[in-house]
Amino acid sequence: MTAPYLVFDGVTKHFGPIAVVDVPFDYRIEKNQFVVFLGPSGCGKTTLMRMIGGLDEPSGGEIRLEGAPVGPPDRRRGMVFQSYSSFPWLTVAENVAFGMKYRSDIGEEEKLARRDRYLDLVGLYEFSDAYPARVSGGMRQRIAIARTLAAGSDVLLMDEPFGALDAQRREGLQVQLRRIQKRDAKTIVFVTHDVEEAVFLADKVVVFTKRPARIAAEVDVAERLGADRTLELRESPEFFALRNELLHLLREAAGDDER
Amino acid sequence: MSDAPGALADGTRGEGKAVMAEGAVAVGSRPARRRPSRFGFRKPLPRGLELSIALGASLGLLLLWEAVARFGYVNTLFFPAPSDVAAAMVHMFRDQDLAWHAAVSTARVWSAFLIAAVMAIPMGILMSSYRVIGAASEPVIDFIRYLPVPALVPLAIIWFGVGEETKIFLLWLGTFFQLVLLVADDMRRVPQEYVEITQTLGASHYQILRDVAFRAMLPSLVDNLRVTLGWCWTYLIIAEIVAASSGIGFVIWAARRYMKTPEVMAGVVLIGIIGLASDQILRAVHRRMFRYL
Repeated sequence: MTAPYLVFDGVTKHFGPIAVVDVPFDYRIEKNQFVVFLGPSGCGKTTLMRMIGGLDEPSGGEIRLEGAPVGPPDRRRGMVFQSYSSFPWLTVAENVAFGMKYRSDIGEEEKLARRDRYLDLVGLYEFSDAYPARVSGGMRQRIAIARTLAAGSDVLLMDEPFGALDAQRREGLQVQLRRIQKRDAKTIVFVTHDVEEAVFLADKVVVFTKRPARIAAEVDVAERLGADRTLELRESPEFFALRNELLHLLREAAGDDER
Repeated sequence: MSDAPGALADGTRGEGKAVMAEGAVAVGSRPARRRPSRFGFRKPLPRGLELSIALGASLGLLLLWEAVARFGYVNTLFFPAPSDVAAAMVHMFRDQDLAWHAAVSTARVWSAFLIAAVMAIPMGILMSSYRVIGAASEPVIDFIRYLPVPALVPLAIIWFGVGEETKIFLLWLGTFFQLVLLVADDMRRVPQEYVEITQTLGASHYQILRDVAFRAMLPSLVDNLRVTLGWCWTYLIIAEIVAASSGIGFVIWAARRYMKTPEVMAGVVLIGIIGLASDQILRAVHRRMFRYL
């Protein structure tokens, strides 16, 4: 086991009188883990993730990244949203390069090289000069992933990034994202309410209750399914067993109004 | 990746469907012909057809007007035929320096409009970006916005006399306060996601405004400028009627004094033509600037 990388220390969040997030004890995420926040829609898991990014501030407690409390947003923690994830006035290649726009520590030539490398990595090289409006929704999400990687973020915060895509594109992107994460050694926090997506992607799934979001359970998926995720795995009995288990946990966590 | 091949086909939806639906009705009698209805509910028209309908309807209206005036259904002293109006316009261009008057009016509109835009764009952006500025300025701007420009003409004359300043001031007054709120709205509608993405890439507030928020609002900003420019012409005529010795408004008002209805109408029509032309130019600019949309 590696040292704790991202630590939640008694984090709470209120919007006015409404408690949205309530993680009273310590919760730790290890480096280079793929962690999925699973919970009922609108439960506050997104708010918790936004607090990692510095886009929202906790009302109580703190979040630490490698020992230091997280501050305002910066390049170390990149965001990928479900919609408006790429800039329509920039071409695909310009969108990816935009990730490095505010980095003065790397030269222009290296920026170009990195841009092309990440375009290639997500399979968008041939669409370099297209505008986002002309490519599919799945490709637009890949632009966002490539931009975040090009920026050099250590932690990728992904808010239901595949939520608007059809099942087939989703599967393809999930395989690809998992591969990139292992290859580039990134820590990913991924928010979803789709149980199968959670099982397929995660090293660890954190199940949240309905609002205010509390951690109801943590399931170590890597231990049960291993690190290698292929489409065949989706049809294995182990996958289904874990999926059903998580469905039950989620139902329990969602509480009485799901009776 | 599975989604690459079909991806570019997304844009061509819809157009074939109308044809198929209409074709189904015609199957019994004439199977070969599939003609889309011209009254398809929310369906597009072929470009050529649309253009000819637009021109035809305008020409038809002109012909009707001509006929009504020619055959004595109206008193032409009050309602002259379009041919008389056209003749008056030609005569005015030749003998009354109408082109110069039009140029003077256009210059007034554009200078007031540019001053208003240069002031309103940064102000509107700041109002939406920093709530402090928004809270401080919105009540005042909203109040002035509802004052009718003609009500401020006497005050403008007291302050600036009857020179160019009065006209520019009145035009500015009519556009600045409207535009500033429109710009603020455009900025407010920039998706929060764009701002947050840029924040996580390490941009400063200024960089976010310059590189992302402004770019994101630009298409609707250009649209709003186009609309506001139209309003400018409304106030121009008020300003020129009240206090001017040049400009289209002055020409119209002078012609009225001698009951030269064709000349009055020619002035009005000329404003319409200039408005239509500048609107079309700005639309073309919009299309060129925002090809990515």
